[in-house]
Order: sequence, then C-alpha cells, then structure tokens
Amino acid sequence: MSAAASSSQGGAEGGTHPPGEEDQGESSAYYECNICLDTAKDPVVSMCGHLFCWPCLHQWLETRPNRQMCPVCKAGIGKDKVVPIYGRGCTKSQDPREKLPPRPAGQRPEPENAGGVFPGFGFGDGGFHMSFGIGAFPFGMFASTFNLNDGRPGPPPPASPQHAEEQFLSKFFIWVAVLFIFWLLIA
Amino acid sequence: MANIAEARIKREFKEVVKSEEVAKCHIKVELVNDTFTELRGEIAGPPDTPYEGGNFILEIKIPDTYPFNPPKVKFVTKIWHPNISSVTGAICLDILKDQWAAAMTLRTVLLSLQALLAAAEPDDPQDAVVAKQYKENPKIFQDTAKHWTHIFAGDSKVAMITHMLELKQIKKIAISHHS
Repeated sequence: MSAAASSSQGGAEGGTHPPGEEDQGESSAYYECNICLDTAKDPVVSMCGHLFCWPCLHQWLETRPNRQMCPVCKAGIGKDKVVPIYGRGCTKSQDPREKLPPRPAGQRPEPENAGGVFPGFGFGDGGFHMSFGIGAFPFGMFASTFNLNDGRPGPPPPASPQHAEEQFLSKFFIWVAVLFIFWLLIA
Repeated sequence: MANIAEARIKREFKEVVKSEEVAKCHIKVELVNDTFTELRGEIAGPPDTPYEGGNFILEIKIPDTYPFNPPKVKFVTKIWHPNISSVTGAICLDILKDQWAAAMTLRTVLLSLQALLAAAEPDDPQDAVVAKQYKENPKIFQDTAKHWTHIFAGDSKVAMITHMLELKQIKKIAISHHS
C-alpha cells in the first residue's frame, strides 16, 4: 500500500528522483493491457479510457459480436470507437499480425471553427439535406425495370386471328370499364 | 492450452498471491496441475453471515479460450445457499455466464463469490429447495446454512460430528414444518 502511494507521488513529481525497482513495476502496470495483463502491444484505448492490445480487444469483440462492451467497465465499445496510441519509438511493428485486421486508424477531425456558433448545423455548408417527393416512383421503377421491351414480341399483324382476338379483348375490357364507371356513378 | 490463457493465469496467480485478501486469509488459489488448466480456490465465509468461520473449496477450470470466456467454477465444499446447488455445487452467478468480461480475474471472481455468499439472489435460484426455504423460513434457512458451514466447511472433526447430530434435529424441524 505504501509502495503504491510513493510511486504515484513519484509520478506526480515528474520523476525527479530515480525510480526504484518497485516504482518501475508500478509504472509499467499503467500500460498493461486489461485483457492479457501484459504491456500493451499495438495499444488502443477505448472511449471510456481503458487500454488494450488491439489483438486482444479484437478477439474480445469477435467473441461477443452481439454485445460489444468494454471488458473493464462494460461501457459500449466498438471497432470505430477506439483510438490507437502511437508512441514515438514504435514506428515499425515488431509483430505483424497478418491474420488480424489492422488496428483502426486515428480520426482527424477538423479543428473547431471559431467563427460559427453552431458549426456543422448551417444549411449552406452541406451538413443538412432534406428531400420531399410524391410521385409515381414505384410505378416508374416497375415500368423501367420490367418493360424494357427487349425480347418481347411486337403486336401481331392486322389480318391474323390473334389480331382479331386482341381487338375483341380490348373492346371487351373497355366495356367492362365503362360498366364499372357507370355502376360507380349510380351507386 | 492456448498461449494467452496460460500466460494470463500465471500473471493472475501472482496477483492473487500478492493481494491483501490473501494476506488477510480471505481468499486463496492453488495449482492442481502444472498446466494451469485446473486450479483450486478457497474463500472464507464472510462475517455476519451463516457462512462465517467456514472455508469453502472451489474447483476452477480454465477453458482454452480464457479470458474471452469465463472460467468454470463450482463449489467442492457442500454449501446451503439459494444460488448454489446443494447437491452438485454448481453456481448460478451472471459473471460466470453471460456477464463475464475479459478484464475479470481469478481474484475478482473469488471476491464476487464471497459477495454472493453475503447477498443471495433467491429470485434467480440454482437450488429451488434452498431458495424456497430462504424466502419462506428465513430462520430455518439461517440455521441450516450455519450447520452446513460447521459440518462441511469447518476444520474441526469433532464439531462436524456434534453438528451432524444437531442437523438431524434441524431436518426434523424442517420436515415437520414442511408437512
């Protein structure tokens, strides 16, 4: 207990005195992955502030695809919700893990615009789109999808029995339509 | 056993051995074999509960997929508790099932089990008979749990025999009350 207290004090003072062996053990514990309990390799940090090796966290997320939560505090977590940590000394990866997807890249949001009170909420800057429409969209789609007129036979020649048949059918349906409209009017 | 599981158990083992709870004899972990797949845990019954004074042995089996899946834990010592089977020692505890999280360790599991002894959940029972008694006859439940502790989790053989006799009486009371 006293060792832990002294080490945290040492950290707060910025390491003015050379750290003892126990201090070293304590300070490396700050950078331990919460899953494998080893010093984090390919470190990522969750939005809730918990540190993991990316391979460890990836495996955890794969184990429970339905309920993605932080292994420490059970806060919501996801592939795009973790931030990679790039130390100065680790530019090249010592252990390339081909099997795993690469660690998610860091996001670089634009610096805050000092002028606008609500940046991103204006109508003119492309942040807001709205469209209304009532139209024959589905019918148009059906028509264009199904009536492409490719490979369909054209109308039969005027003298053929098919032509007569189609004429009869067309007249018949016109009469049906007229009777229906008439019935609608008197009903 | 997968590499990560073994490496982690080794680390956790050190962590438990160093922890203050071990120093105060509240929890203990021992190796059963050299492969770290099976461990033997021990927890002390929490104070102000019928389990006070008892030492409860646990069988801990580490799956290959540890720590992504929980360890399989059951009571070896017989115990009278609504969430623990009085016959098999199987435990009904969410963190050993779907609420497991990879950052949990042997130490936190043992402490959670100790907490379970102090705060039973009779609405989510493992042993229906015990849970019924817990709800309907709290006094008899307390006495039964206390006697089971003395008989099975105590270290004195003499106490075991004397309490075995008392248990028979308790059983008689329980049966008469039941009928």
